[in-house]
Parts: sequence; C-alpha cells; structure tokens
Amino acid sequence: MLLISTPVPELRELADSLGAEWLGFPRMDEATPEALEPIRVATRAEAGFRHVVVALWAEQVEEGPLVELDDEGWSLRAERPLLAWCVGMGIASRCVADGGAIVALVESPAPIDSEGLTPEASVAEGAIVLARSLAQSEGPRGVRVNAVTTCARLGGGALAPPPALADRYPGAVGDEVAGAIRLLLSDDAAGMTAGVTHVDCGRTLR
Amino acid sequence: MTARVVVVTGASGGVGRGIAIACGAVGWHVWIAARREGEGQAVAAEVDRAGGRGRFVSCDAALPSSMASAVAAVVEEEGRLDGFVHNATSGLSPRPVRLADVSTADLLDHIAVSVRGSFLAARAAYPHLVASQGALLLLTSEAGIEGKSRLAPYAAVKAAQRGMVRALAREWGRAGVRVNAIAPLASSPAMERAFEADPAMEPRVLGRNPLGRLGDPVADIGAVARYLLSEDSAYVTGHTIPADGGSCALT
Repeated sequence: MLLISTPVPELRELADSLGAEWLGFPRMDEATPEALEPIRVATRAEAGFRHVVVALWAEQVEEGPLVELDDEGWSLRAERPLLAWCVGMGIASRCVADGGAIVALVESPAPIDSEGLTPEASVAEGAIVLARSLAQSEGPRGVRVNAVTTCARLGGGALAPPPALADRYPGAVGDEVAGAIRLLLSDDAAGMTAGVTHVDCGRTLR
Repeated sequence: MTARVVVVTGASGGVGRGIAIACGAVGWHVWIAARREGEGQAVAAEVDRAGGRGRFVSCDAALPSSMASAVAAVVEEEGRLDGFVHNATSGLSPRPVRLADVSTADLLDHIAVSVRGSFLAARAAYPHLVASQGALLLLTSEAGIEGKSRLAPYAAVKAAQRGMVRALAREWGRAGVRVNAIAPLASSPAMERAFEADPAMEPRVLGRNPLGRLGDPVADIGAVARYLLSEDSAYVTGHTIPADGGSCALT
C-alpha cells in the first residue's frame, strides 16, 4: 500500500495504522507548481501498488471570511491544495496496479459548519470529483476509486443540532476513518467505485 | 421585473453570450467582461438589440488587478451592481487528457481562470452585492458533479466552484447575498471543440440526454441564469441548478 500525503501528523499516524509506504508531498506553503512538477515527473515510472491512498491536507486549518483573504491567503488555502490534489491523484493513477484500488481521503467541512471554510469546501469538492473522474478512466483496467471525507480537524464551533453519533463525533483519523479506508480498499468493496463515504458521524446530514 | 446591472465574464461567446442576451431581453444593463474587445463589443451590441443596454469592460478573470478594475469601472458608471456571473473558463477546458499526463502549468491555468476567477469575482463584487441585495452566479458543469474520464482537470475546477457555492451561500446569507451555480449542457464553441477532439463524445452526450439535444445558450441557459439573478429567486441560494436536458439526473 502507498500513502501519498503531506507531512501532517494525523496522516503519518494513518500511514502507520494502514502499514503503508509513504510518498511525501511538500507542505502547502511550499507546494508551488515549480515544486510539484518534478514530483509529478519523477514518479512516472513507479507502479504496481495494489492499494493507494491520497491525502493532501494543509498543515493546519485556517478559518475566516472569503472576502477578507488576500491573494496569498487564497493561494495557500485553495489553489495550492487543489493543484496538489490534481498532481497527487494523477500519480495515484500511475502507481496503482491493474485491479487495484485508490481512496482519496478528503478533509471536508459539513455544509452546516462551512462558514469561514469556503476555500476548504471548494478543494474538497474538487478532490471528490477527481476521484470520480479516475473511477471512470481507470475502471476499464479494474481499478476502483472512491473518496472518504472527514471533518476530524474541522469539527469546531457550536454543534447545534448535534451530529447523529454525537458521542463519537468527529471521528478519529486512525480509527473510524482508517476503518472506512480499509473497507473501500478491500475485496469486500469489489463493487464499489466512484462513491463518497462521509465518515463524519452523520454531520453532513445536519 | 426591475432593470438590473449585471456583469458576465467570458461573455464574448458561447454560454456567456447567451446569458448576456437573455438578461438584455428584459431590459437589464449587461456588462460583457472579457479579454477580446472586438467580440465583446459585438455581444454588447446584441444585448442592445435584444432590448437591454450592453457595454464592454476589459477583464482577465485570472488577474486580481484586472477583476478589481472591471468591477470598479462598472460601479463607477452604473452606481450599483446587482449580479455577477463568472462564466469564463480556461481555453484548455475541452482538451481531452489523461490526468497523470497534465503538467502543473496546465493544471494551474484551469485553476486560475475558474477557481481563482470565482474568488476574485466574489471579493470584488461582494460590497456592491450587499448594497443591492444581489446575487453571485457561477457557471459550472455536469462534469463538476459526476466527473469526466478524459476531462479530469476541467471537472475538478468545476466541482471546486460547486463547493465554493455551497459554503459561500452560508457565509453570505445573513448579508442578504445569494450564491448559486448552473451546470449547463449547451451548444457553444467550447463544446464544438470538444466534439472535434473526441468524435465519440457527441453521440455519447446526446444519447444520455432525455431531451435529445444540446441546450440553447440564450433560451435554455440564459433564462435560468436570469431567474437566478432576479428577485424571482429571492429564496434560492447555495444550489447548483442543472440546465442540461436531464442528462445528469436521469442517466
């Protein structure tokens, strides 16, 4: 298994939990097109992983009104993460073996909690649809591609009404989230592709 | 319906032109915000002939200074802004690609025009839309809902716009500004280029369309845009409205 991710502590723990090799992406403040292009080109030849997980998260969550962002703030919170997702999912499609599976682990605010997180909501939807696009392009060679969303680091604020599974909310990356990833990578999910699984204890439905 | 002042980016042709003419048909003041002045002026004249008042303003949607200047010029002349439509997309949009083969420079071009352009439009237009209790409208695509195997970068930025609409509608709702998107399927120069690049695409697209035809940019897409910019949709926000002949919902 290969985990393509940024150097975020929760994702390092996920690599350990899944027993995955780690392909490191730069931090978002360093994820310029110039920095990502050599990574994209260098991993062209790698292939053969049965399972690939992609998780390209910012080092920390920022919040604030969209219209108060300056150009650099916007780039850090939206453009560079979306660019990284495009590059990372492209690499995943190269690295995964025929008949394998890819999971995009997407940090996504529940709609009710999305105020002040417009760039993050934008990146999340883009990453989810990248998974759907790859599910279509790689499906003919037996590759399944799904997305898992989590709000593990985005679950702040007043929770009214409470999430359906309030006692477990927002769910831990190494626990509930890793479990969903294992399921989607396994043969038990052999008929599942292009789907989105929200591991948010029911928050998305609020 | 009260006459409104609206800006439409990328309106020098295609769907943007259709939206501009549809808004002009009910007497609105429509600003064609585009890079190509000749084509933009021609569409402005079509808006005049439709019954509105068309004007051209130079705008590169990916450049912060250009977007800010365009909005400032419109407000200076009109004294208000009721609606902003971000329709412009990268010229690379219809080019079939394999995601893994796309350079970061090309990916950034997609992101800059569609996603950065949406941000720049939102930031520049917001105070004026608060004053008018107006609306922001983003043009996305069915590709941004279900993905596209050979148009993955385009699908990703169109999806990112949908994510922005949902979150921004919540962020701006208390200020009385609505944010929506349209996912159109329409005949346009971009669609024609996509069909030329992938000949199998046209029968595939039309075969899954219950109405069996592409939408007309004025009658089918422009009318929906005009509704979302008007007071008739005063209670509609945060949505992506498919105007696609049922392609997305019924296949």
